[in-house]
Amino acid sequence: MSTQPYGLIAMYDTPAAAMHAAEQVRDAGYKFWDVISPFPVHGMDRAMGMRRSRVPRISICGGLLGFTTGMSLIWWTGGYNYKLLVGGKPFFSPLFAFPVSYELTILFTAFATIIGMFVLNGLPMHYHPVMKHPTIHRGSDDAFFIVIETRDPRFNAANTRSLLEKTGGKEIAELES
Amino acid sequence: MAHAESTAHAQHSHPILSEVNPVEIPRAVLIENKRDFAWITEKICGIIEGKTPTWWWVLFIAACFVASFTVAGITYLVSTGVGVWGHANPVNWAWDIVNLVFWIGIGHAGTLLSAILCLLRQKWRTSINRAAEAMTIFAVVCAGIFPVFHVGRVWFAWYLFPIPNSNAIWQNFRSPLEWDVFAVSTYGTVSVLFWFVGLVPDLATLRDRFANAGNKLRARLYGFFALGWRGSNRHWSNYEMAYLILAGISTPLVLSVHTIVSFDFAVSLLPGWHTTIFPPYFVAGAIFSGFGMVLTLMLPLRAIYKLEDLITQYHIDCMCKITLATGTMVGYAYGMEFFIAWYGANPYEGFAFINRAFGHYAWAYWIMIACNVVTPQFFWFKAVRQNTALVWILSIFVNVGMWFERFVIIVTSLARDFLPSSWGYYSPSIVEIFTFFGTFGVFSVLFLLFIRFLPIMPMAELKAVSPQADPHAGHDHH
Amino acid sequence: MSTHASSPSAPAPGKALLVGIAGIAVSLLGLFVHGAEKFATSWLIGMTFWVAVALGVLFLVMIHHIFDAGWSVMLRRQYEHWLSSFTWLALLFVPLLVIAWTHPTLLWSWMDPHYDLAAHGGHGTVGDDVLWSKKSGFLNRNFFTGFTLVSFAAWIGLAAIFRRNSFTQDGDGDAKWTLSSRKWAAGGIPLAAITLSGCIILWVKSTEYHWFSTMYAVWFFANCMRVGLSLGLILMVWLWCRGDFKGLLNDNHMHSIGQLMFAFTVFWAYVTFSQYFLIWNANVPEETFWYNIRETGDWFYVGMTLLFGHFFLPFLTLIHYPVKVNKKLMPYIAFFIASIVLLDICYNVMPSQKVASGDPLPFLQGGLIWTIAAVIGIGGICVWAYLRSFATTKLIPIRDPRIGECLTYHQGHAD
Repeated sequence: MSTQPYGLIAMYDTPAAAMHAAEQVRDAGYKFWDVISPFPVHGMDRAMGMRRSRVPRISICGGLLGFTTGMSLIWWTGGYNYKLLVGGKPFFSPLFAFPVSYELTILFTAFATIIGMFVLNGLPMHYHPVMKHPTIHRGSDDAFFIVIETRDPRFNAANTRSLLEKTGGKEIAELES
Repeated sequence: MAHAESTAHAQHSHPILSEVNPVEIPRAVLIENKRDFAWITEKICGIIEGKTPTWWWVLFIAACFVASFTVAGITYLVSTGVGVWGHANPVNWAWDIVNLVFWIGIGHAGTLLSAILCLLRQKWRTSINRAAEAMTIFAVVCAGIFPVFHVGRVWFAWYLFPIPNSNAIWQNFRSPLEWDVFAVSTYGTVSVLFWFVGLVPDLATLRDRFANAGNKLRARLYGFFALGWRGSNRHWSNYEMAYLILAGISTPLVLSVHTIVSFDFAVSLLPGWHTTIFPPYFVAGAIFSGFGMVLTLMLPLRAIYKLEDLITQYHIDCMCKITLATGTMVGYAYGMEFFIAWYGANPYEGFAFINRAFGHYAWAYWIMIACNVVTPQFFWFKAVRQNTALVWILSIFVNVGMWFERFVIIVTSLARDFLPSSWGYYSPSIVEIFTFFGTFGVFSVLFLLFIRFLPIMPMAELKAVSPQADPHAGHDHH
Repeated sequence: MSTHASSPSAPAPGKALLVGIAGIAVSLLGLFVHGAEKFATSWLIGMTFWVAVALGVLFLVMIHHIFDAGWSVMLRRQYEHWLSSFTWLALLFVPLLVIAWTHPTLLWSWMDPHYDLAAHGGHGTVGDDVLWSKKSGFLNRNFFTGFTLVSFAAWIGLAAIFRRNSFTQDGDGDAKWTLSSRKWAAGGIPLAAITLSGCIILWVKSTEYHWFSTMYAVWFFANCMRVGLSLGLILMVWLWCRGDFKGLLNDNHMHSIGQLMFAFTVFWAYVTFSQYFLIWNANVPEETFWYNIRETGDWFYVGMTLLFGHFFLPFLTLIHYPVKVNKKLMPYIAFFIASIVLLDICYNVMPSQKVASGDPLPFLQGGLIWTIAAVIGIGGICVWAYLRSFATTKLIPIRDPRIGECLTYHQGHAD
């Protein structure tokens, strides 16, 4: 069964070149495409026409969950399940429950943020068509790539290739899926 | 004046823009000699890919030897009982908590570099933050040894956590020691997570390099932890946001950890412990001691690996200045404590402070003042900051001074509290000295493993702050 | 003296002066309506508030220099104008010194050794009070006066240096002015920290001279920073609305100052919580009484308003990015924070005025109007000083080494 290729890849030498190219790909109306860079290029999100990341929403949920967990844990254990008088202090007070709830807020936020980030990114994913590209190791070193996927409705082997050429892409190649 | 011109051509031309003509005071470059991306990759990865140097083995074996002291001390403690430590009424808390606070404090500089300086957009942090974060984690490991083993029967240490047990009783959440359990374990966990997230792109770089060089085993190993990172910008976008949030939550975390550590003392009634400035004062002290340790570690590393292009004089200047600032804040807190002890007109409080300065432990107090308040003042002078050997020596003084600060706070207050009939004098036992001495070995072993097997600097971040990373460089854009 | 060539003409400071004089006149009226004690308290609150603003501004200018910050250069120019208010604040402090030397017990009972503590549920006179005599080396009228004068001299001096360095550089474009500011900022921060600490202890904490807390000065510093940042934001948006900052101010500037406002919201909460919590948990009567009197009557609700208004509300709004860059909403938040800082100062000053039973006077009472008048009056003078200075220089420091960075300010996410 001959499968459709995954997409076309082109290499760029500088962040500026990659960004100008990305702007043109964005303006050509592509949706399923990506930029590979060894570090986050400042302004690339806008050049790709991307929305602000949704990670913060997940983080906030984690934080709220953590705080609630802390408060209810301390209330339930000390103020309800097994009341024990210590140092004349109340069985429960949000004041002394605060430090632990605070720590749990941070702990849960951290987990939510990291898990949320990896899930949104679809990672871990150890095999990806892009990673079979022979010079892709430079994408984590000093080179920049643009990948346009074949599943994009505007994808057309010839037109897309000429767009990448026009933007100054080098070593344009097809990626097997 | 390239800046002024490019501004003047901006879309909304404000009349004043034509007058803008900034005087030239160039920003310090963060990477000297205009190194390119590939050079950074090569430099950092080269350390891992090269042959293990002889000095590394020498140091590693020495560190293992030193670490064995902790193992010996703990083994003896566990097989005998906590009585082998020098604690006795009234000083039932001494080196164990001193060492806990000391090590935790050292960790704080790592989080400060990675989190607070990230929020403050201090780009110079990038060269140092990876190693400093590693230092944080290893310091927390060393810190954890003391509270875990001071419980005596260490196999019951899980009683610290709210896990249902056969006694049906729960932890006392009114106790600051229970808050400590949560603070320190959260701190350790989040530090590891933060460090790991920062490592992922660099592990991917290592994976790609090893794969390209045909070293399949190491490519797989690094690749496993790189989680399939491929530098996609759609990923970077979420990644940067997550990193920023982690920095945002680590900042209150690092503040809260030492705050809660300070609560261990400040919520009590003991003179010299119960004072409201403790939280920020402990935090400033922690950052101060941490930067002392960062300097102690980074300066030799810089010399050995020839990292002068990445850890420049500017970086050393910045670290010295932070040490100076936090040391002076600590000095302010010492002064304020002393002043309020007098102003509060409580005779016990007043005595506690006079006793610290002129009592049996006065030697410790003056070591503390000399190391923590006086030493950093040398960093006012440029000539001192530029003398790397001198900076290194001063950083050692900072480490020593901060250990003594905790000793002074904890031991002097306990040894001389309200009731003269129960006054005492504390000296450590040989087992305590062994255990503490050994933790430097534990720390060094971990740190040496780190510099051998992991990228000691965040390559992706270094590239991102280098001048050629700016897509707007040299011309007008948009 | 060059004025802005083609941007909107500089606002006339006359109105602010009128408001100032009117406010001061009204608060003086309080002297006759409600008596001297009301006036004294009101004036102390007004002074403390506006000194907090000016000190916050001074700290922010010094922090800007010490960090060699780029984004805040054009904000710093507005702050430099505001620093001119220190001279007038020193002048407006004179009534408090007069009170100290003529009728000290209106505010600071410790200044009069013959003051009868029995009037408010105590015993004997101040002179017999061991809690005063022990600290009389610090709590005495001479030290109070001397320290206050030295502090004002230090603040006025620092303000003059930063103003001169920045304004002169507009003309000659010499780098030495920037370097000088950096040096003065490094030395000025410890100096300002010590004077701030001493003044807040002498002016405000000593109104309840039995009480002590090592955190107190840090609490005041947090408020100074919050109100200083709020002022900065208001000035930036005001100049933007007027048109001066059109094309200069961008979202990133808004975002950065918003982040600082957020950070200091957290810092204030941290400091205030720590102080309260440590005292609550240790439960020592010689400390807890200060909070206990603040839980009687309507002061309890003032405390709750501080908890929610000074922390939760700003925290939950400022955490959002769209809020921080919203030029319509942010000035309201800034005004809100500033007024809560004022409430916080009231919370610290007012309850030391007692009724015969020893309980504090309630917060909501007719005398509050004189406090508001004093705040408006002194504020009017500060605004007048700012506007007068505003007209004398360029809108932005055109020769500052970082002005280019500030005008093209765009930030990365994580660095």
